[in-house]
Amino acid sequence: MRNLFRFIAQHHFLIFFLIIETFSLFLLINSNPYQKVVFYNASHKFSGRASVRMSNIRDYFSLHYENRKLAEENARLYNNLNSSYSWLRTDSVFPGDTLARRKYWYITARVINNSVNKQYNYITLDKGSESGIRPEMAVINTDGIIGIVKSVSPNYASVLSFLNKDFTVNAKIKKNGYFGPLSWLGKSADYGTLVDIPHHVRVAEGDTIITSGFGGVFPEGILIGTISDFKLKGGNYYEIKVKLSNDFKKLDYVKVIRSFEKVEIDSLENASSQ
Amino acid sequence: MIREFVKYLFYFVALIVLQLLVFNNIEFASYVNPYIYILFILLLPFTVPKVFLLFNAFILGLIMDLFMGTPGVHSSATVLMAYSRPFVMGLFSPREGYQSGTYPRMAQFGAEWFVKYTVMLVIIHHTTFFYLEVFSLNHFFNTLLRALLSSLLTSLIIIFSQFFVFRK
Repeated sequence: MRNLFRFIAQHHFLIFFLIIETFSLFLLINSNPYQKVVFYNASHKFSGRASVRMSNIRDYFSLHYENRKLAEENARLYNNLNSSYSWLRTDSVFPGDTLARRKYWYITARVINNSVNKQYNYITLDKGSESGIRPEMAVINTDGIIGIVKSVSPNYASVLSFLNKDFTVNAKIKKNGYFGPLSWLGKSADYGTLVDIPHHVRVAEGDTIITSGFGGVFPEGILIGTISDFKLKGGNYYEIKVKLSNDFKKLDYVKVIRSFEKVEIDSLENASSQ
Repeated sequence: MIREFVKYLFYFVALIVLQLLVFNNIEFASYVNPYIYILFILLLPFTVPKVFLLFNAFILGLIMDLFMGTPGVHSSATVLMAYSRPFVMGLFSPREGYQSGTYPRMAQFGAEWFVKYTVMLVIIHHTTFFYLEVFSLNHFFNTLLRALLSSLLTSLIIIFSQFFVFRK
């Protein structure tokens, strides 16, 4: 017993180090998705208000850029108004028509925390379940896709960024409709990688890549980026390098999309796969 | 004693705020991210009990983890670095040893000593950090490059801080 005490006294530095390091590694390794969500929620409680302050300051530096984007978007929306068209037939449908069924609902939110330099990046939004945001909703902005909501607290939402190795979206080439999974390989924040495009498809640099709308999370036709490089992998499929249209380093205002059809699609697909 | 304590508490808070507000926003092509908050561990006096050193490092790492949403990554790397500090000091110890009343600053031990001391500990921290963050050996050399480039930038910033902030 005395030998044991002497051993502990002699090596207390090493022992204490091993205890703390084991605990840290335990935090790291044992974080399965559920615990990660718990950690994020604790993290939000702790740092949410501070992040809001910081983001308020940072906003001033991007006011000019955001204003220009808003003006552009306003112009685009004006162009879609009924009054921008001359109607050949006045009895055709109008936006408030009860025959039209709403597919998507857009909620605007602000990015209060964001990173692009990790391998598993997350974005925090300033709205949560009280504003109607739920997990699995899509997040986009004017320039293209951003991510999918991962977890929500009453006032904040944590978004799985496109720049996260766990993120995959089904994308297609706009001009011919061939589709495949698009993901991020963890290197540059400007490029994604589209795979599974068969070798007989004609692709060219500069072709536009958009969302396919499969799975019902993202609406069809949201911009992702353009092809910057492509090569055959294994002889049969292209591996296509996609230059992202979004600059993830300066995200500010985003739209969260609630899909009214996802539940129905999911339940149908689950039922038929059983 | 109390003044010392308040001074180091101020360093602690100031470094965390600087890291979160300024240095987290610095990155080049997602390769180089400086983590200068570890300067706190480098600055602690020689007389600090070793166990207290580890405990400090753990709290510092945990706060970083909480703010950046990375459970355990910063704390593991910082604790390992704090554990290596006495050994690195022993390795580079000057001929007459570290006398009482001295602090690990460039002004007191010279540029060569400080650069060796800083670079060694920063590399230990950054290598651990970047590998734990990726948590796989895929892209081994890519991760190594990121760790080394970031170590270079962090070390440069820390060494410059010795000229401007911690001059005495």
